Amino acid sequence: MSPTPLPLSLYVHLPWCVKKCPYCDFNSHAVRGSLPEKAYLAALIADLDEELGRAGGRQIESVFFGGGTPSLFSAESIDRLIVAVRRRGSLAPDAEITLEANPGAVERGRFADYAAAGVNRVSVGVQSFDADKLTALGRIHSPRETETTLEELRRADITNVNLDLMYGLPGQDIAAALADVEQAIQAQPSHISHYQLTIEPNTLFHARPPVRPDDDLIADAEIACAERLAAAGFERYEVSAYARDGRVCRHNVNYWRFGDYLGIGAGAHGKLSQGEPLIVSRRWKNRHPQSYMAAPVPPVDGETLMDAAQLRFEFMLNGLRLTTGIHECDYQVRTGSEIGGLRRELEILEEEGMLLSDGDGGWRASALGFRFLNDLQARFLPPRPDAGVSGPGNG
Amino acid sequence: MSIKNIRNFSIIAHIDHGKSTLADRFIQRCGGLADREMAAQVLDSMDLERERGITIKAQSVALRYQARDGQSYQLNLIDTPGHVDFSYEVSRSLAACEGALLVVDAAQGVEAQSVANCYTAIEQGLEVVPIINKIDLPSADPDGVCQEIEEIIGIDASQALRVSAKTGLGVEEVLEAVVQRIPAPEGDEQAPLQALIVDSWFDNYVGVVSLIRVVNGSLSKGSKVRVMSTGRSHLADRVGVFTPKMTDRESLAAGEVGFFIAGIKEIDGAPVGDTLTLDGRPCAEPLPGFKQVQPRVFAGVFPINSEDYEDFREALHKLRLNDAALHFEPETSTALGFGFRCGFLGMLHLEIVQERLEREYDLDLITTAPTVVYELLATDGTVSYIDNPSKLPATGSIDEIREPIIEASILVPQDHVGAVIKLCIDKRGVQKKLLYLGNQVSLVYELPMADVVMDFFDRLKSVSRGYASFDYRFDRYQPAPLVKLDILINGERVDALSLIVHRDTAQRRGRELVERMRELVPRQMFDVAIQAAVGSQIISRQTVKALRKNVTAKCYGGDVSRKRKLLEKQKAGKRRMKQVGSVEIPQEAFLAVLQVEKK
Repeated sequence: MSPTPLPLSLYVHLPWCVKKCPYCDFNSHAVRGSLPEKAYLAALIADLDEELGRAGGRQIESVFFGGGTPSLFSAESIDRLIVAVRRRGSLAPDAEITLEANPGAVERGRFADYAAAGVNRVSVGVQSFDADKLTALGRIHSPRETETTLEELRRADITNVNLDLMYGLPGQDIAAALADVEQAIQAQPSHISHYQLTIEPNTLFHARPPVRPDDDLIADAEIACAERLAAAGFERYEVSAYARDGRVCRHNVNYWRFGDYLGIGAGAHGKLSQGEPLIVSRRWKNRHPQSYMAAPVPPVDGETLMDAAQLRFEFMLNGLRLTTGIHECDYQVRTGSEIGGLRRELEILEEEGMLLSDGDGGWRASALGFRFLNDLQARFLPPRPDAGVSGPGNG
Repeated sequence: MSIKNIRNFSIIAHIDHGKSTLADRFIQRCGGLADREMAAQVLDSMDLERERGITIKAQSVALRYQARDGQSYQLNLIDTPGHVDFSYEVSRSLAACEGALLVVDAAQGVEAQSVANCYTAIEQGLEVVPIINKIDLPSADPDGVCQEIEEIIGIDASQALRVSAKTGLGVEEVLEAVVQRIPAPEGDEQAPLQALIVDSWFDNYVGVVSLIRVVNGSLSKGSKVRVMSTGRSHLADRVGVFTPKMTDRESLAAGEVGFFIAGIKEIDGAPVGDTLTLDGRPCAEPLPGFKQVQPRVFAGVFPINSEDYEDFREALHKLRLNDAALHFEPETSTALGFGFRCGFLGMLHLEIVQERLEREYDLDLITTAPTVVYELLATDGTVSYIDNPSKLPATGSIDEIREPIIEASILVPQDHVGAVIKLCIDKRGVQKKLLYLGNQVSLVYELPMADVVMDFFDRLKSVSRGYASFDYRFDRYQPAPLVKLDILINGERVDALSLIVHRDTAQRRGRELVERMRELVPRQMFDVAIQAAVGSQIISRQTVKALRKNVTAKCYGGDVSRKRKLLEKQKAGKRRMKQVGSVEIPQEAFLAVLQVEKK
């Protein structure tokens, strides 16, 4: 056990969707016939038991049900999983428990049951309030269904709500992007995630790319939307994440601050730090739901120990996404190395205008660095590509 | 075998007129290879030669032929290249021969390159035997082609053989003609050894391999052989002939052509054109050897990764061993780092050398825009030569810049003569001669070499639908209103992009180049200004506007591998670019000038 254990989160992957979206490169699979809910749940619980054993009694600070479309799972299944975590005495009393839901894929009245099971935060895949844009994105839902879903959430008294929005959509001008943001603000969520549509390999859009607005227009739309969100009290705390009243997504913040997390479910990734000196390992699970369910426990597809160069890169990669950036104290605790050699690189980047220092060990991306975050992050890439870190989504 | 039963000959043919196919028929007929070993066109041994359908380096094959007179003959076929850039190689191959087969396509007729090579053969005293090939083609016109040979080249074609290398028709008669019409070599087997090095190449296992023609005496395995120019002696490890397989012999005697291996490891150990003799019994005089060729086209060639510099230098030395026309000397560019200024015979030669370096030596290279050599008269009266635009001194110290002028001979069917004349006028050509010869027109033009090296050959082929052929020779230097055109990136002069151009075209060239560069330079974190300048005067400007952002924001449930791959991909893309100041410039941008030319 390290003297001050890092915060620990739990990610649960529920990989099925009604239909695969053409832009999506997540590990998701269209449901064929009926959902093998029972078998999958059994595999998840076996996986969970093994992972909690590894974590050696550390408390889980947050749980995130991601997908796929987790709202396709019954509240009873979600309840059984939360109970399983709690029964091991591992769930912090104030844990944040988030569930992703897609409009058009939630049964009526189900949110109240989810809440009863312990879910206290819901992330809704709105993407847009414009019917044409939803069609262009290949979404199954209509703006009307989004309204219904938001209404259901209010009725279930779930107030910690994130709305996922996309911009840079085919045919979307600045006014249209702003209109989506405006509608999202009107729904009074605690959190808005504002993502740019990007074309990823191994997606339908990659093979048949839609015509998108030009890069300059997208950049202008982003600025306009960020301003509107700020005016409405949404503080940008990460590249795509905006929160009201400090209600950030604690689960994601833990990733970005390079905390530890267990990953259960098909293709889920975990990261665990143990021992003194610190040993940090990554492991990931069988990607395909069928092979995940068929695999012996633990259903591990791969596992690797992270070396100093990888730790340094991933710490910076994640931390610089936050508007507050990183702190040198965190660096030592989370990578097991002195900041030493890294400081020179940080100073060079400060001279180049990419980073800002608070003079007290804190470093964050400047406005320029934030606009060119990929270039900034790439400066910390390990010298040579390492085959060790690969997993779901590769290939 | 008696020297009387040896025949050394080459085949002179235009590309695609069937030389390699005919050679394959000879090998098949004389049993050099089993059928299963007959990969099509054995003689073109480099991959590159086979892919491009051209022969670059001399190769030889020794054939055993049982003639109709009942005697057995050794026929040594020495291959020759068929492209305008390589006429120098042709004269080398011909130096080992007593005769040449002039192969002409029965449908296409005589082409300029064959005319030039045929004259080289006649000048070197070779017996030329005309062969009309592809007589099986429906469009074949052997009588017309015979008339062309007589009118254009001026040799007797009444005895021309009519064959189809493809079907094998008449091939036997060609072999008989080689025996009957080409004289046997003359030489004294008892005299001290005199052997000419026709070609040398480097083999990683045995060291230098030389193709030699024994003129006098004989060379036995195990004898001590002296390379006359260096005075160094080597033990002859192996001698033999290509059948086309490498076949060892005890010795090679006067009149024979074959290979010689003496464990020479240093690549300059057996220079082409040198004479071999015996250490114990040297000959009095070396053979005349070959005339040095002057490269006409120069370009800077730089390794993309500076660590490759040493490998690059070694590769150039190895290539030069059997490519005497390749010149190089170290060059330092502020934009591209350390590399070499290389001299070539022409654009095809440049392309082939670059491809060989990349393919055979696994090097990644940037080649700058090629240039010809200019003659410079300074105000103090001294004359110098400039093969690198960035080396052109300030205008104040220049009295006159002179450009090379070539004399181009073009043969083209009447139907296309208008298009060819228009092309020559576009290229600032001056007509010297126009002659109707049967269906063909013979044109002679004077052209500025700078306008020819870039793309004249390609353009000529396209305006004449492939029917025109051409050959050229350097004529003279001539004063011209030339200026240096510089490209500036964010105010910094990029030496590797400078050009020497005509003053009248500087404005247009500068504008086109800057526009093309703007398309090729990717958007970066800041605005990039691209300017063209003549002296201190900016004549054109474009801006590559700054990228607004480069952020990818997805969150994959704690899996960073995809994000990492993306960043690595972006970084690898940058590694392939050259950093000029703080601006990243892709390789293609250094060749933008060529792309502008070819538009």
